[in-house]
Amino acid sequence: VSDEEDRELQALQRQLDDAFQTTRPRGGFEDELWARMQARRPWWQRVQAAFATLIGGVRRIPPAPAATVAVLLVLVISIGLLGSLGHRGGGASSTAGLSEGAQPGGAQTHFNPVAGGFGQLPSPVLGPGPGAADMNPPKEAGVRSPAASAAATPYFGPADLVWADELNVPISEVPVFRYMEPSAQDANRFATSVGAAAQSGQPGPGVLGSYSAPDFTLTVASSTQSPKREPSYILTPKAGSSAAGAAAADAAAAYLRSHGLMPTWQATVIVEQAGDIVRVRYLREFAVPGSGSAFLIDSLGERYGLEVDLSGSAVVQVVGPMPIAMDTALYRITSSGQAVQSALASGASGGGGITPTPTVRLTSAEIVYSLVWAGDHSFYEPAYLFSGTFTSNGVTYVKRVLVPAVDPSQRSS
Amino acid sequence: VPTDRPPFEDLYRDFLGRIYAYVRAQVTSSADAEDITAQVFMNAFQAYPRFETRNTTPAAWLFRIARNATLDHFRAHGRRERLQRTVEHQPLDEHDPAGMAEDRIRYQALLTYVARLPERQRDAISLRHSGLTFEEVGVLMKCTEDAAKMLYHRALKVLRESVKEEMP
Repeated sequence: VSDEEDRELQALQRQLDDAFQTTRPRGGFEDELWARMQARRPWWQRVQAAFATLIGGVRRIPPAPAATVAVLLVLVISIGLLGSLGHRGGGASSTAGLSEGAQPGGAQTHFNPVAGGFGQLPSPVLGPGPGAADMNPPKEAGVRSPAASAAATPYFGPADLVWADELNVPISEVPVFRYMEPSAQDANRFATSVGAAAQSGQPGPGVLGSYSAPDFTLTVASSTQSPKREPSYILTPKAGSSAAGAAAADAAAAYLRSHGLMPTWQATVIVEQAGDIVRVRYLREFAVPGSGSAFLIDSLGERYGLEVDLSGSAVVQVVGPMPIAMDTALYRITSSGQAVQSALASGASGGGGITPTPTVRLTSAEIVYSLVWAGDHSFYEPAYLFSGTFTSNGVTYVKRVLVPAVDPSQRSS
Repeated sequence: VPTDRPPFEDLYRDFLGRIYAYVRAQVTSSADAEDITAQVFMNAFQAYPRFETRNTTPAAWLFRIARNATLDHFRAHGRRERLQRTVEHQPLDEHDPAGMAEDRIRYQALLTYVARLPERQRDAISLRHSGLTFEEVGVLMKCTEDAAKMLYHRALKVLRESVKEEMP
């Protein structure tokens, strides 16, 4: 190789280095893709990520106290007409009237007859929240939603909103639920009730305890703000627990029952395929006396609850809300006319957006419940969820608007 | 997530640009490069719980996924169109003048020549200049480290001749 050829090749190598080092995706692609990835994974993985350094670590916590498993009294809220204010699509599903009764961990619901008994309430919101930039949808673009609504991408940017339907709400009051943040002792009681004992090790911030049973491990985490999540548990069988031949939903139900984890709240059960995992999801519903029931939604507006993952017919993970005692109080509801006005006025629940600003016809509305964190306690608050789809550059988006259902006079924000 | 495995977010931030550049050197448009890059990280994200650091480096693991995703892209879309472009030496991205101008600033012209190399030569150049060691390139291309070096240097010479021919 001559010196000249050598120099040429070296120069070419430098150019290639420059070419590869300076070729980068367009601005915004990194954030968009990351948000899509976040949105596609189930909420519990986001919770796990939040505690990633804690969940695999060595912990030293005191042994669980002697089992004092409360026999639970669950007041059953009557489920009446489901006041679907518009469409309530949910895919292939079966409604499970999950039975009331004894529930591990001490969950109990108390009615508070005093209207507005919790005082003024913070408002539920959709989309990015303070400090939630990495867990929530991007401010300037849509994100791909979880498999349940993979056909449309949630959009939180500005939009000109139109509503042409009627919205009638047959009730004047709506329940708000409140729970106090559980302690490590509460988590211990829950773990004991399902047959798990505390593992040695000190739980880090956000983790109430880590436990082990002969056939599974259990981690209990406290509420998180980002993503918004109630105290939750993650149960991982040590070996896949198989119910050979059973349908996924049946296998999941059998596993939950055998471990005392069948939720006592009402849910709609759906089955999804996520890669080689079959996911049985119990979408949580809250009773709205006089109007039926309402789904619990996350900050993307997606319904959620408890999830059982199966590989084949073997349960490989269960993630759900830790059973917690709750109080209930009734609040005056925002009128439907006010709700529509508020929805139309809220062109965006996030910044940035598609250019030109899309016009979106909102075609459905329903009452939902959304978690609102308030320090040492949290609320499940009712809200109107309006939604409509639109298409931009060949991509179908869904625009969702959340309007608090609690009357403005009883809200602090 | 085991403690010896870095958070996926770290990998994402460290490798997104490199993976994109690698993919961009293989395909004909930045839109395709974005789609494939997105698929790479979606796949990696899903597979990350099974990733074992003792078996391979994160870079080699990610570039293996990228390589497979790129091959899948070619399989899905057929190589005929691309080969046709190669034969005709058509400029890429001609439908997007603004993007083309920007790409030129970013050495797109050079990457265009890389994209026209035979597959293994193109891979050797792309993987090497994406920051992989020859050992990692060899593992990915199922050859020895020395063979990877030879392949790379042969590719470099072919590339130099191509550039000379059209940009004397």
